[in-house]
Amino acid sequence: MTTATAPKNLPADLGSDVVAPEASGFPAPAGRASRYRWLKPVARYYPVFLLFLLWEILSRLNVFDPMFMPSLEGVARTFYEEVFVTHELLYHMAVSFSRAGIGLSLAAVVGIAVGILMGRVRLIEEFCDPLISALFPTPKLALFPLMMIFLGIGDASKIALIFLGCFFPIVINTYTGVKNVDKFFLWNARTKGASGRQLIWYVVCPAAMPFVFAGLRVATSTAFLLIVASELIAANDGLGYLIMFAERSFNPELMWCGILVIAAMGFIVDRLLLALGHRLFVWQDK
Amino acid sequence: MDQTKSTVHIDIRRVSQKFQTARRGDLLALDRVDFQAHRGEFVSIVGPSGCGKSTLLYIVAGLMAASDGRVLVDGTAIAGPSPDRGLVLQNSSIFPWRTVEDNVAFGPQMAGLSRPERSALVARYLEMVGLTKFAKFHPRELSGGMKQRIAIAQMLACSPSIFLMDEPFGALDSLSREVLQDQLLQLWERDRKTVLFVTHSIDEAVLLSDRVVVMSPLPGRVKEIVAIDLPRPRHEARLLPEFGVLRNYIWSSIRNETMEAIG
Repeated sequence: MTTATAPKNLPADLGSDVVAPEASGFPAPAGRASRYRWLKPVARYYPVFLLFLLWEILSRLNVFDPMFMPSLEGVARTFYEEVFVTHELLYHMAVSFSRAGIGLSLAAVVGIAVGILMGRVRLIEEFCDPLISALFPTPKLALFPLMMIFLGIGDASKIALIFLGCFFPIVINTYTGVKNVDKFFLWNARTKGASGRQLIWYVVCPAAMPFVFAGLRVATSTAFLLIVASELIAANDGLGYLIMFAERSFNPELMWCGILVIAAMGFIVDRLLLALGHRLFVWQDK
Repeated sequence: MDQTKSTVHIDIRRVSQKFQTARRGDLLALDRVDFQAHRGEFVSIVGPSGCGKSTLLYIVAGLMAASDGRVLVDGTAIAGPSPDRGLVLQNSSIFPWRTVEDNVAFGPQMAGLSRPERSALVARYLEMVGLTKFAKFHPRELSGGMKQRIAIAQMLACSPSIFLMDEPFGALDSLSREVLQDQLLQLWERDRKTVLFVTHSIDEAVLLSDRVVVMSPLPGRVKEIVAIDLPRPRHEARLLPEFGVLRNYIWSSIRNETMEAIG
């Protein structure tokens, strides 16, 4: 037979269907261009800067009533004073952020745990699914007066409100993610000896992680919304309170400080989450 | 194969599988399927789509429970999946969030092996499939053929005594397919594990196997079992006249059912 000359050394002719992987990297950018690279993401937001410029010009031309729209320069001056002289703004920022942060973290822990359990345990799924479907569409802000009755107007009622608002997007996304885990991933893991617990930790969690992350992003913007809304309604401190206080004491510069700080913070946190997501999910097919 | 003929490794005893369907009532996917694979034997299962060949493989893997009948491995009825029965699926079921090396290390990690023990295994099996250079890559950066080789390395790292392969090369282009067939043959000829290999390619079945189980659809039944007595090694077996004879014989055996199944 002609088949006697089989190569015995296995690895010799392996690797012949190798394709050049695209991901090994683009050519490095030239040195001159890379020095100004940080400018590029900033430059992308030029319409925002244009808007600020327009604001300043129009207010200097006295187009606006200064009681509603002070000059941007005035707002900047107030910002400087509130941050570097009186530290007042910093205090309110810290208050708002710790409330939002605690509520969001609690919602993340409980929401992810419940979502995973719902996705894996039939009994829990059948119990929680109708509850969540019924409660999810209710605007959580409508419950705030009730929470103030139970928890007072301090931190507790606001944290509870944020918890509720953030819990639903997180639990629903986690549950969807767990339900969507490819059956063949689970099968593959089981035939490699994974136990039930290992299956959840090493397969279900990483496979569902992009969904969980999307839920966290939605929840973060919800947290920002609810913290300001609840502080506008009733509070003694926090950015929402500051805005309300400034409006009532005829201090439009301070009011705009609060608005712009919240807007900037929401934007920055969302960008950070997005960047973190890109880093965490490099493995995902785009 | 004569020296191994006596020891039955996988014993499939009158296995039936019913599925409940919404519209057509119960569907008999497998009807009293009964055959044995001997230790160190390469058995392929071919048949048109709908003949239940993948279902049978999942039952042997322990991922599905048969409605009726039993599967014995080394004389003991199976209960659930086991790393001793390694599985390779058609579509890359390797984990996209793990790098190539972490994918290969998955089984040993589940078994509680330490990091250095794991990396020794990874090095060994990555070299065996020729992907050492890609250890740090993620699966999405690899071609389909490379992903299937990772899946094979991942299975090998659990050192199973049985390979269950469900159309492992089915989604590959024909060139990659031939390369992987050759590599699998070399691997098998070295270690002589027991292999159950599901495929819809008669060529592939004849090229690789000691015996080919031919199945017919609706309900899934064993139509006949064809012994492939081509000499090994087989990497040039396609050129032999007997290859064509066997191929045509199997094809004529299932052609009518296949025509019907394709409809």
